[in-house]
Amino acid sequence: MFLSTWFLPVALLATTTFIAFPLSKYLAWIMEGKFKAPRFLGWFEEKLDSGPQDWKEYTAALLIFCTALFAFGFLVLVLQPWMPMNPDGKWMLAPSTIFHSAISFMTNTNLQHYSGDQHLSNFSQIFFILTNMFLSAAVGFCALTAIIRAFRGEKLVGNFFVDMWRVVVYMFVPASFIIGVIFLQQGAPMTFDTFARVSTLESPSTQQTIVVGPVAAVEPIKMLGTNGGGFYGMNSAHPFENPTGISNFVNTMAMMLFPFMLVLMYGRMLGRLRHAVVIFSVMLLMMAGTIVWSVYFDTLKPNPGLTGDSVARTYEIPSASAPGGKRTVTVPAVGGLPVDQHLGNLEGKEMRFGTSAGATYAAVTVDVTCGAVNSEHDSLNPIAAISPMVGMWLNCIFGGKGVGMINMLLYVIIGIFVAGMMVGRTPEYLGRKIGAREVKLALIALLVHPIMILGPTGLFAATDWGLKAVSNPGPHGFSQMVYQFSSASANNGSAFDGLGVTYGLANNPAPAPEAVPWDIAAGLVMLFSRFLPIVAPIAMAAYLGAKKRAPQGLGTLRDDTATFALLLLGTILIIGALLFLPVAALGPLAEHLGPIPFGG
Amino acid sequence: MLKSISKSLWLLLFAVVICCIVYPLALWVVGQTVFPFQANGSIVKGPDGTPAGSLLIAQPFTKDEYFQPRPSAASYNGSASSSSALAASNYALRNRVATTLGPIVRYGSGPKDGQLVAPDIESWFQQDRFQDNPSILLQWADAHNSLAQAWVAADTMHAQYVTTWASTHGPVVEQFIKANPAIPQPQPSDLAVVFFETFSKEHPGRFPSLATHTDSAGKATASIEPAGTGTDIQSTFFDMWRLDHANVNLQNVPGDMVTTSGSGLDPHITLQNAMYQLDRVAAKWAVDTKRETGSVRIEIEALLREKAFAPLNGLAGEKLVNVLEVNLVLRNRYGVPS
Repeated sequence: MFLSTWFLPVALLATTTFIAFPLSKYLAWIMEGKFKAPRFLGWFEEKLDSGPQDWKEYTAALLIFCTALFAFGFLVLVLQPWMPMNPDGKWMLAPSTIFHSAISFMTNTNLQHYSGDQHLSNFSQIFFILTNMFLSAAVGFCALTAIIRAFRGEKLVGNFFVDMWRVVVYMFVPASFIIGVIFLQQGAPMTFDTFARVSTLESPSTQQTIVVGPVAAVEPIKMLGTNGGGFYGMNSAHPFENPTGISNFVNTMAMMLFPFMLVLMYGRMLGRLRHAVVIFSVMLLMMAGTIVWSVYFDTLKPNPGLTGDSVARTYEIPSASAPGGKRTVTVPAVGGLPVDQHLGNLEGKEMRFGTSAGATYAAVTVDVTCGAVNSEHDSLNPIAAISPMVGMWLNCIFGGKGVGMINMLLYVIIGIFVAGMMVGRTPEYLGRKIGAREVKLALIALLVHPIMILGPTGLFAATDWGLKAVSNPGPHGFSQMVYQFSSASANNGSAFDGLGVTYGLANNPAPAPEAVPWDIAAGLVMLFSRFLPIVAPIAMAAYLGAKKRAPQGLGTLRDDTATFALLLLGTILIIGALLFLPVAALGPLAEHLGPIPFGG
Repeated sequence: MLKSISKSLWLLLFAVVICCIVYPLALWVVGQTVFPFQANGSIVKGPDGTPAGSLLIAQPFTKDEYFQPRPSAASYNGSASSSSALAASNYALRNRVATTLGPIVRYGSGPKDGQLVAPDIESWFQQDRFQDNPSILLQWADAHNSLAQAWVAADTMHAQYVTTWASTHGPVVEQFIKANPAIPQPQPSDLAVVFFETFSKEHPGRFPSLATHTDSAGKATASIEPAGTGTDIQSTFFDMWRLDHANVNLQNVPGDMVTTSGSGLDPHITLQNAMYQLDRVAAKWAVDTKRETGSVRIEIEALLREKAFAPLNGLAGEKLVNVLEVNLVLRNRYGVPS
């Protein structure tokens, strides 16, 4: 039991780290432009090259391209009914859902308010999903590259379009192909048919209609690009997306791979590998922490909904209408159900991945802001669900493609600034003095995240928009709302699936009643939380990089030591805890401590 | 600006060609030539040579001759995967598990070791006392309004029964309307709780259950009648019975047997779960094939052990069996279940 619980997470972390070190060299080599492409590929590169850009031009190009990508995605979804590969004539998604989905995939979030198997044709799966998955993942990657070049003091930070081409064609496509073949061998379908129809064994008159499609093509980039939007509604829990224990291992590793490598690429391109390794260690430590937390509380503990509590409990709660301002509520005792739970909480878990695979995946997918799920997060043990939430709140435990590292840089700047204030010395990063303007920009980027989570959650929790959408009672209903906006703001894409946010196709006679406000609010949150934390840090890096490099002195805070690692860890935990502890207490903690079951 | 727009469109075009046409086509060629079985959905053929299912997608099995998959929140619908999304703190989860358990749970020790608890739940229900208070049904409806309403909404016959009841209990309905001015014209499900309250007074120790009668002409008619026995009682009131018998030792049921999977289509069960079902399966096949139970049991157990595998060769989890794979062998070996 000990081995079968801990082997998987340990092996995942070790293997990915082991691969990331040599492969990050290849990434740096490509982004430096040292890779000379074969002639026919070089032609495309030349066609795209609009010449070296300064940071403003680079950012403008990035924003313009994302706008074009949004328009393209919107168009493909709108045209779904008239496009080929749609044998059962699926109508278009509801307009608000199209808006939401186009933003969601363009921002690398992949929060899905629809169900791929029920609502998308294979044409949309290919032309909407694949395009966005390859390109949106590359955008964050390019933003980080621009920041690195700015930090190096380069006025011209490269060409956005050439960078995009390099990332997509020289990295994502070949890597996806290799992983795709592995998935195929393991059992992922790869066909342009939509359905396989079978007569079930027990009663041959009963037909089972099984949705198939180009799953093996979507799956690799979904993981490698930390996109996370499933071909099927239940994502990587679906047996076609994730057929075996081996596919699950490869799947989990694939989403960790690029976030791991990018941190090291940062160090390599700056010539500061030791510094990057320190940051890497801090991230690895936090990731191990979130995994241990969720595995301990979900795999090694039973589902508390099925266990017994032999004493009745009485709670005193404030109530304006009751005499004395207080009302007592008695929670009756519950009997233990005779269920063997030695494998932990199995509600919402698949069996074939392994004992701790669901809990491990839940932690990893939010840390690297992938958002794919291989179990139902809504059904995680209440206290275990804190782990995925913390991953999204901190948003820098490796984080999404490029942007995770950018978020971490913000914490680095703030950490150094705070440390500088404490010792009364001008703070420096990479030999350059951090001024008020840089700190302001860093804070703007950093504060967008909590504002975008807490603000809308408060609004929805106070109105029918939220109250009529939650599917579980009490604090868990609140957790569902917090989770949705955390996922949107972290550009993660996983969800507590019970929340009623699915409108479905535009002609759906009975949509979830509050689907439209959720579509719009989550869409806007994703938009702001994606682009402010990309634009502000690029500006910050450009201003910082433009300053003169001061020689390293005795009093300089060294950024490649264990002390620095502790400083960074402390900064992250304190800021994270201050910002999000209250909602954690109202949601998962209250659920864990309060009566289970909650009400009848 | 204009330059960026035109370059953006070029990039988009190139990406669509490479990522949406070249890349999937390359994988498609590999799939259809090297891995055609997997690439088309791992479809296996039944005894008559027609496709009988996908090895990766669970399908429903209800007959006792077959091993049964995990319960499915998607009703085994291969085109709409879904989880239950029930939180641990949601009573609906506990209730779903308890209702599954009621008819199948057995004593784990004592004089009745190995016997079903179901008959005892029925006799306890007929005595109609829960935690030293009279009327089990009344307490159930009071504590679980939503379950009472769900019962009414579950079936048109249930709703009809409540409507008929309402027409003969005018004063009760009037009192309900007076107490709930927001519902001037109550629907059957609104009346669920008061219905059960009155029912428990009029029929103590009884539950409205489906009964089928065959008349002299051989025609069957179904109706709802107060009953003191039946699976309705065994499943609905197991949770309350358990609380009244908290110290009774019961055999644990394998966890994966009563929990739904993430996709609702999980094709596997644990070997432990299969072993739990083995007695039932073997006994039934023995009857069907007119053989001795012991030898059939040995055959099937050998089959399970042969087909069992563990994730990552046992490094990551416990042994599992594929339900369709095993049932297909049983069907081919022993014929059509009667």
